[in-house]
Amino acid sequence: MSDKNMQPTVYNDTVVRQFSIMAVVWGVVGMLVGVIIAAQLIWPELNLGLPWTSYGRLRPLHTNAVIFAFGGCTLFATSYYVVQRTCQVRLFSDKLATFTFWGWQLVILAAAISLPLGYTTAKEYAELEWPIDILIAIVWVSYAIVFFGTIAKRKVKHIYVANWFFASFIIAVAILHIVNSAEVPAGWMKSYSAYAGVQDAMVEWWYGHNAVGFFLTAGFLGIMYYFVPKQAERPVYSYRLSIVHFWALIFTYMWAGPHHLHYTALPDWTQTLGMVFSLILLAPSWGGMINGMMTMSGAWHKLRDDPILRFLIVSLSFYGMSTFEGPMMAIKTVNALSHYTDWTIAHVHSGALGWVGLISMGSLYYMVPRLFGMKQMYSKRAIELHFWMATIGIVLYISSMWIAGVMEGLMWRAINTDGTLTYTFVEVVKATHPFYMVRLLGGVLYLGGMVVMLWNVLKTASSGHPTDAAIPHLVAHA
Amino acid sequence: MDILFLLIPLSVVLVLIILGGLWWAVYQGQFEDIEQEGSRILDDD
Amino acid sequence: MQAVLPDSDLFAEPEREVVQWIALDDPQEWEEFSHPHGGSQSNLWESNLVIEGMHCAACSLNVEHALKSVEGVISAEVNASSERARIIWSADSTKPSDWMRAIVRAGYRALPATDTSLFEKRRKEQRLALWRWLVAGFCMLQVMMYTMPAYISGFGDMTPDVRMLLQWAAWILTLPVMIFSCGPFFSNAWRDIKQHMISMDFPVSLGIIITFGVSTAATFQPSGWWGQQTYFDSLTMFVFFLLTGRWLELRLRSRTAGALDDLMRRLPDSVERQNADGSFTRIAVRRLMLGNVVRVLAGESFPADGTIVMGETQVDEALLTGESRPVLRSMGSAVIAGSHNLNSAVLVKVEQLGKSTRYAQIVALMERASVDKPRLALLADRLARPFILLVLLAAAGAAAFWWRNDPGRALMAAVAVLVVTCPCALSLATPAAMLASAGFLARRGVLVRRLQALEAFAGIDTVIFDKTGTLTSDAMHIVSTAVREGVSAERVLQTASAVAQHSMHPVSRALVAASKATMVDTVSDVKEVLGQGLSANSEYGQIRLGSAKFCGLETLPADSVQLYLVDEHGWLASFAIEEDIRPDARNAVCALQEAGIEVQVLSGDRLQAVQRVASQVGISVVSSDCTPQDKLSHLQSLQQQGRHVAMIGDGLNDGPVLASAHVSIAIGKAVPVAQAQSDFVVLSGKLILIPQMLIQARRTMLIVRQNLIWAALYNAVCVPLAVMGWLSAWIAGLGMALSSLIVILNAARLARSVEVI
Repeated sequence: MSDKNMQPTVYNDTVVRQFSIMAVVWGVVGMLVGVIIAAQLIWPELNLGLPWTSYGRLRPLHTNAVIFAFGGCTLFATSYYVVQRTCQVRLFSDKLATFTFWGWQLVILAAAISLPLGYTTAKEYAELEWPIDILIAIVWVSYAIVFFGTIAKRKVKHIYVANWFFASFIIAVAILHIVNSAEVPAGWMKSYSAYAGVQDAMVEWWYGHNAVGFFLTAGFLGIMYYFVPKQAERPVYSYRLSIVHFWALIFTYMWAGPHHLHYTALPDWTQTLGMVFSLILLAPSWGGMINGMMTMSGAWHKLRDDPILRFLIVSLSFYGMSTFEGPMMAIKTVNALSHYTDWTIAHVHSGALGWVGLISMGSLYYMVPRLFGMKQMYSKRAIELHFWMATIGIVLYISSMWIAGVMEGLMWRAINTDGTLTYTFVEVVKATHPFYMVRLLGGVLYLGGMVVMLWNVLKTASSGHPTDAAIPHLVAHA
Repeated sequence: MDILFLLIPLSVVLVLIILGGLWWAVYQGQFEDIEQEGSRILDDD
Repeated sequence: MQAVLPDSDLFAEPEREVVQWIALDDPQEWEEFSHPHGGSQSNLWESNLVIEGMHCAACSLNVEHALKSVEGVISAEVNASSERARIIWSADSTKPSDWMRAIVRAGYRALPATDTSLFEKRRKEQRLALWRWLVAGFCMLQVMMYTMPAYISGFGDMTPDVRMLLQWAAWILTLPVMIFSCGPFFSNAWRDIKQHMISMDFPVSLGIIITFGVSTAATFQPSGWWGQQTYFDSLTMFVFFLLTGRWLELRLRSRTAGALDDLMRRLPDSVERQNADGSFTRIAVRRLMLGNVVRVLAGESFPADGTIVMGETQVDEALLTGESRPVLRSMGSAVIAGSHNLNSAVLVKVEQLGKSTRYAQIVALMERASVDKPRLALLADRLARPFILLVLLAAAGAAAFWWRNDPGRALMAAVAVLVVTCPCALSLATPAAMLASAGFLARRGVLVRRLQALEAFAGIDTVIFDKTGTLTSDAMHIVSTAVREGVSAERVLQTASAVAQHSMHPVSRALVAASKATMVDTVSDVKEVLGQGLSANSEYGQIRLGSAKFCGLETLPADSVQLYLVDEHGWLASFAIEEDIRPDARNAVCALQEAGIEVQVLSGDRLQAVQRVASQVGISVVSSDCTPQDKLSHLQSLQQQGRHVAMIGDGLNDGPVLASAHVSIAIGKAVPVAQAQSDFVVLSGKLILIPQMLIQARRTMLIVRQNLIWAALYNAVCVPLAVMGWLSAWIAGLGMALSSLIVILNAARLARSVEVI
C-alpha cells in the first residue's frame, strides 16, 4: 500500500475493476429481466398473478437496470480508466471514487427492491422515488468532483476529446436529473412531480431525450474515442473533426426532445422545432460515426482476427443506423405511423443493443485483462461466440420489431369505407404475436452472449490477479 | 407552455456557461496544435 | 599545407556538442528564451525552443518523450505545427545543455526561441480572434433556435408571453456578441470618427448598432413606433460571417509572415571572443559588441556581419541565396551573419550586430512589404471614402422615403443598405490578393519588396538581363585542354584532377568535374596556396597547378580563364575554363519569349563573351561594353518608346538602372540587400523563377480585376434592392458576408500553384 506522503506510482484501477465486474453482472441481470418481460408479453401467465412480478413493475426494472446499472457502471469504469490515462495522473480522490462505487450499487439495489414493490414516480427512465433520487444526486456530485478533480491535476496539458464527452455527459445528467426529478415528497416513498400536465410531459421528454443524448450517446462516444484508436492502434481519423463533432452534437441535442410528443397536447410549433432539430442532429452524429469508422482505414484487416475490434466497429454501424432512423422517425408524418408502435421499441433496441451494448462489451473486453494483469481475455473463442450471438440476437430483435411496428401502425389506422376502424385492437395484438416470439429469441441470444461474457470475465479474473497499471511518467524517475 | 419559463432561461444560462468554458479552453490553448493529440493516447501505456 | 596563420591553435576544434550549449547554461543567458516559473521559492524556469526536423505530428511526441526522460524536466509541450517547445525545468536538478542533448539524441535540432515575445503576441491575437468568432458562432446558433418558433408558428399558436420570453432570451444571447465579437468593428469605427477618416467598419458598426437598437426596443417596448419585429438572428449571423472573413484574412497574413520566421532562427548561441591578452573566451552572442574580434570555428555560423582579419575559409551563404555552394572568403572579405563557416577557423571583426545585420534587414524588408499599400489599395482607400458617404446617403434616403408610412420598415431598409454594401472588394481583397501572391513567391525564395511591383510586373513587355552573375553562375567548366607533345591528355587531366580535388576553388572544381576517374593515389604531398594554386608530387614529379604567375609562366591574353599545369620541365598542360551559364537560363528566356516578352542582355563585358552567352540562352538583342551610364541611357530610350521594362541584375553596380526600370529584380548571391532598390529579390538565383513570377503577377491582376468586377456588380444590384426595402436584414447580412468571403477565397487561390514550368 502506498504511503500517503509518497506520490502514487500507479493508477487507481481498483474502482475501475469494481465497476467493470459489476457492469457485466448487472448486464446479465438487466437483460434477464428484459427476457422475462418479453416472455410475459407472449405468455401473460408469466406475470404469475403476483404484483411484484407483473409486467408493469418489471419493465421499469429492466430499463433502469440496463441503462443505469449496466450502462452506468460501464461509464463509471471506462471514464475512470480513460481520464487517468489521458491525464497521466491518479484519480483525484480514492475515497470519493470508492464512495461513488458503493453509492451507485446502493442506488441499483434500491431500485431493484423498490420498483417491484411498486414505488414509482411513473416518469420514464426516472421512476425511482425521491430518497433514491437524492442518493443519485449525491453520488453524481461526488463523481463530478472525482472526474473534474482528476482533470484539474492532469500532467498532460491537452484534454483529450474523450474527456470532453465524459465531462459534458456528467454535467448534463446532473442538470437533467435535478430539474426532472423536482418533486414534492408526500411520504417516505411517495412524491408528486413539481410539474403537471403537458408541462410535465415536456420536462419528462426534455429529460428523456437528453438522457439518451448525453447518458447513452455522449458518454459512450467518449468511450468510442478512446477504445477504438487504442484497439485499432491508430489515432482518430480526424482529431479536428472530433472537436467539431463534440460541439455540434451537444448543442443540437438540447432541442430535440419534443419529437417524443408529436400530435399530443404540445403546441405545434414546439413539435416542429423538435422535428427540425432532430433532423439537423443527423449531421453531427454521422460525423462522429465516420470519424470512428475511418480510424480503421489501413487497419480493416485487423477485423478478421480481432473480435474485440469487431464489437467496437459494429457498434459504430449500429450507431449510424440508429442516428439515421431517429431523425426519420422524428418527422411528423413518419411519426404519425410509428408512435406508440413497436417500431419505437425496435429503434430503442438497435441503439441500446447495437450501439451501447456492443461498445460497452468491446471496451470491457479491452480493460478486463489489463485490470487483472493478463495479456488477453481467458478465451478468445468465447469472445467470438459472444459477438455472433449478440449480433444475431440484435438482428432478430430489431427486424421482428420493425415488422411488428409497421404492422401495428398500418393496422391501427386502417379505416373502412364507412369510416370505422378495420381492425380491433386485439386483432392487431394477435397479429404481432409471432414477431414477439422472434424478438424473445433475439433477446435470449443476446442474454446468452452476455452470460458467456460473464463466464469469460470471471475466468480471466481468477486466472490473473488484480493489477494497477503504472503511471508512465513517474516510472522513468523511479 | 409555462414550462418554457423554466427551460428557456435554463438554456440561456447553459449557453453562458458553455461560453465561459470555451473562453477557458481557448486561452488554455486547448484548440491549438491539435493534430498530434490523436496519437498521444496510443503511447500512454 | 602551407601555414599561413601564425597561431596553430586556430585549428583546434573542440567537441561540437559541448561548444554549442555552454552558453545556454549561463543563467544570464536564460532571459533570452525563458522566464522564471512559479513562485520565487522554486528554482523553476520555463523555456521556449524552436525544434527543427519534425516532419509529422507524431514527431512532436518523440521530442516530448525525450525531454520528459531528463531528470529535472517537469513538463514539456511540443507542437508540430508551430515547431515550438515549451519546457518547464528545475535549475536545481538540470541545465539546458542536458535537455538540448536529449533532443539531439532523439534525432532533432533545437534552438532557443528568442522571438518568443513576437510569437506570443501573434498567438494572443489569434486566440482573441478565435474567441470572438466562437462567441459569434455559438450565440448565432442559439439565437436562431430562439427565433425560429416565431417563423414557424401560425397565428395565435404562440401565446404572447412565450413570444416575449423567446425574444428576451435572444436579446440576452446577443449581448455577448455585441460585447465581445463586435469589438474590432466598433473600435475601428470610433477611431475613424476621431480621426475624421472613414473606413468599411463605419457603416458596418452603424448597421449593427441600429439593428440592435431597433430589436432591443421592439423586445422591451413592442408598442412603440419601431414595431415589434426583432432581428437578433440577422444580427448575429452577419457578425459571424464578417468575422469569418476577417479570420481567413488573418490566417493568410500570418502564413506569409510565417515564411519569414525561418530566417530569424539561425543565430548561434555562443562564440569565442578574443580577449585583450589574445586568449579566447566563449561567450553568448548577444554579448558581442561592435569591434570585437571573434574566432569562428569550422562548423559554426558567423554571429554577426564582419570582416575576416585573419585566416581564410569557405563559407556557405545558403541562408541568403538558397544554394549551398561554398564561397571563398579570405582576409579582408566580408562575411554575413548566419552563414556557415565550412573549412577553417577564422578571426572576424564584428561590424554589424543584431538588427543591422543583413538578414535582419531582409526580415525587416519583408515585414515592410506586408504592410505596404500597393497603388491599387491606396486607390481603393481613396475611393472608399466617397463610396461610403454615398452609402450613408442612400441609407438615409431610404429611411426618409419609408418613414411616413412605416417607420419600422424605414429603419430596416436603412440597415439593409448599410449592411449589404461591400466596399470590401476594394479595401480588403486587393491587399489579400497581393499578400497571397507574395506569400506564394516567398515560399519559392522570391522576396517581394513592394507589393505594387506585382501590378507593374504583370504589365511589362520587355525584360533586360545583366550578364555576369545574372545569366551566368559561379560554377565553371573546362572548355578546352592543351597538353605538351608526347603526353597523354587524359592522364594529365586525371593527374590535374587528383590534385584539384584538394581545393574547393571553383576553377579546381571545374577540373574535378571534367574527369571521370581520378588517380588519387598517384599524387601526394598536396599543398594549396589559397587563391593561387596547388603543388604536389605526382608521376610527373613535382608539379604545380594554378594561375600563370603561380606556375612561373608568362600571362597571355586569352578569352577565358586559363589554368596551367607545369612540372619540373615547364609547361605541361593548359585548361581553358569558362563560367557556367545558369542551367535554367535558356528555359527561362524561352518561357519569357513565349509569354510575349522581348528579352535583351546588357553587359559591361566584351562582345565576344556576351554573344557567347546570349546565343546559348537564346537572346538576340545584345549590348556589350556598356558602362553603367550606357545601360541607363539604353533603358531610358526603351521607356521613351512606350515600353514597359523589367531589369534583372545582381544589384551590385546597377543601382540607378534597376531603380529606373518599371520593375527591378535582383538575383544572385552578392546582393547588398539593404541598398537594393529592386522590387523583387530572387534569393536562390534560379532564373526559372522569373517567368513563374510573371505568371503569378498576371494571375494576381486577373484575380484583382475579377474581385473588382464582382464588387461593382454586387453593389449595383443589391443597393437598389435594399433601398426599395426588398432585402430583409438577414439577407443583407448574408449577402455582405458571402461577398467578402467570395473575394477572399478568390484571392486565396493565388496562394496555390497552378502550373509548374
